[in-house]
Amino acid sequence: MDNRIVTKFKGAEAVVEIYDTVVIKYRRPKGYRVKELDLRLRKERTRSEAKLQSDARKAGVPTPIIFDVDAFSITMERIKGKALKFLLNERICEKAGETLCKLHLAGIAHGDPTTYNMISFEGKVYLIDFGLAYYDNSLEARGVDLHVFFQTLASTHGRFEALKDAFILGYGKHCFDVNEVVDKVTEIKERGRYL
Amino acid sequence: MIILGIEGTAWNLSASLVEENGVIYEVSSPYLPQTGGIHPRDAAQHFSNNIGQVIGELLSKIEPREIEAIAFSQGPGLGPCLRIVATAARALSVGLRVPLIGVNHCIAHIEVERWKTNLTDPVVLYVSGANSQVLSYWVGRYRILGETLDIGIGNAIDKFARSVGLQHPGGPKVERLAQKSRNYIYMPYVVKGMDFSFSGIMTAAKEALSQESLEDVCYSFQETAFSMLVEVTERALSQTGKSEALLAGGVGANKRIQHMLQIMCEERGAKFFAPRPEYMADNGTMIAYTGMIMLNSGIQTSIEFSGVNPGFRPDEVEVNWITG
Repeated sequence: MDNRIVTKFKGAEAVVEIYDTVVIKYRRPKGYRVKELDLRLRKERTRSEAKLQSDARKAGVPTPIIFDVDAFSITMERIKGKALKFLLNERICEKAGETLCKLHLAGIAHGDPTTYNMISFEGKVYLIDFGLAYYDNSLEARGVDLHVFFQTLASTHGRFEALKDAFILGYGKHCFDVNEVVDKVTEIKERGRYL
Repeated sequence: MIILGIEGTAWNLSASLVEENGVIYEVSSPYLPQTGGIHPRDAAQHFSNNIGQVIGELLSKIEPREIEAIAFSQGPGLGPCLRIVATAARALSVGLRVPLIGVNHCIAHIEVERWKTNLTDPVVLYVSGANSQVLSYWVGRYRILGETLDIGIGNAIDKFARSVGLQHPGGPKVERLAQKSRNYIYMPYVVKGMDFSFSGIMTAAKEALSQESLEDVCYSFQETAFSMLVEVTERALSQTGKSEALLAGGVGANKRIQHMLQIMCEERGAKFFAPRPEYMADNGTMIAYTGMIMLNSGIQTSIEFSGVNPGFRPDEVEVNWITG
């Protein structure tokens, strides 16, 4: 393994160390939550993240290869691209739709498909951070994924509608029930209610 | 400039006179159900019976001619309650011949605390009976970064409390019981992206009571649900790159959630502001103050557009009083 650290990123949940060819993600303890819950969440999330990510990869979803896993950390391949957050356009959004559809066809919901968790590299959109992913091929789970993605678009990008349409186009290439999923998103949005 | 503001979205009928330098006078008439939770019709009846006296007392404190505008809570909230308040506000506006300003209740919670804490650009965790949202300002609006997928946290706690015979509001009682336990029992922890859900934990808490003590269940309920809220708030700080966190809404009175946010902010080097008790729960001052800054930036509500909006989302409001 190459030991030279390129950069270190402190996320909300984990510390991500990026080396030349590998990335190590370590889940830090959180002082605000009780120890039992903290240990449980960190262990469970590390283990399930590794399993889901490797299952996604086996199903052909562009995602980093996992090299090693221990209690609170995962060592994986480094994808040398750029996060979608910083280079969104219609074409890339369409690719993002294709990738998310592929994941859903494998029976996996990502749980946090924000534009931070997608990397554009060599003409593909890679999904990273399977920390909140789960096995579920229901319309509900897929709808929540799309809802999360659209929300990050709406809350951080000005040209929301065009990007959203491009994403739906990409998603519908192989997920033929795209309209049902989009209807579900509307339903989920309306459920976030006040009364 | 003196603004009269009336709040009345659910349980607290409250009216206040505010000027630039501060609050002149506030009068409140909270509705407390004898049994069960907030019944929309009973709450509206209470508002209807008391609004004359509340406004009358307020008007006796100043010369009514000094009032420059009437602000009212236009939503979100219970329709029957909102309509009482809107009717009174319209009557005052027409009678005194001053502008009317419909205020979004959620935004009022944020603005009154920004006023009182001198915060510039916080990530807001807004938690009350009906609302649970993580919000932050971005290009002309308060954006909803995360929110509940089903019921509000306060509602979840209150419903659980009612099921074990605790009288409304159950939140403070659950908090006191939780303080007696350090025995954590696992409860469903549901965070989906930036959103959270509380209906599952409410059901799980009710079921856990067949085997566990009430204190342990209250403790575990709070620890789990609040951890979910704090986690999303931290993620919002991380995503937006902001360094201030603000707690708003009635559930913000809970000492445990305040403490958890405090620790989270310390660990990541952000500033945390605990709410002042008098501005945490629903109050007329927040409506009057927000009405004032809206009026100052040229916003008024004509009678035709003064209808109530029970599902009024904070991101529907164009925020032109914040620059940058």
